[in-house]
Amino acid sequence: MLKFRRKRVCSFCQEGVVYIDFKDEKKLLKYLTEQGKIIPRHTSGTCAKHQRQLATAIKRARHLALIPFVADFTR
Amino acid sequence: MAIYETIFILDSLLPPKEIDAAIERFSNIITQNGGKVRKVDKWGKRRLAYEIQKKQYGFYGSIEFEGVGNIPKELESEYNFNDKVLRYLTYRYDKRKLKAMAMEKEEQAVTSSAPTTPAPEAKPTPAPAVEEPVKETVTETPAEEPQAPETKNEEQN
Repeated sequence: MLKFRRKRVCSFCQEGVVYIDFKDEKKLLKYLTEQGKIIPRHTSGTCAKHQRQLATAIKRARHLALIPFVADFTR
Repeated sequence: MAIYETIFILDSLLPPKEIDAAIERFSNIITQNGGKVRKVDKWGKRRLAYEIQKKQYGFYGSIEFEGVGNIPKELESEYNFNDKVLRYLTYRYDKRKLKAMAMEKEEQAVTSSAPTTPAPEAKPTPAPAVEEPVKETVTETPAEEPQAPETKNEEQN
């Protein structure tokens, strides 16, 4: 049976975010899977405008080693 | 002139003196090429999310500057020449960032201008008056809010 899917709203739009800062890695981690992949739009509910911004922010943060490219579970 | 920010990760094993010297060198490059340093920020030593050149920790620093397009190139060549730089990122502030900055400024202007504009004599009195209600609201709200919305969310999920 198909589960009733609630319409998701972009969390950035709700908060009225103008600019997504890539230095704030804690916020970015919310939009990553455990492995470190970017959560797709249809899952997170982010709007296209913010998803584009989010993607560049995540990529910049990855380059600066603030968030991992691939999370390793060997610890 | 555009505003840029450059962020670099230095080897965390460098002595503090050399880190300062390196930051000085980077800002010199900016000023020599007709730029203007707006802000220098040391984030300090941080754990890297993944190893870079077999290193687990790095010293982060950032410089915000104004200038033209040749400065990032000059910086890049310096970064590549310097072995102690693990990573770097130079980017130009886009319209969204500038908008966010303008909004922040406006907010600051509103908060700071309120006590300054009326009269210099009235300064001591309005300041505490503004602070008190803020404190009250902060203390009051958490007591009421947390229970109601959290339980709602759980039920919906």
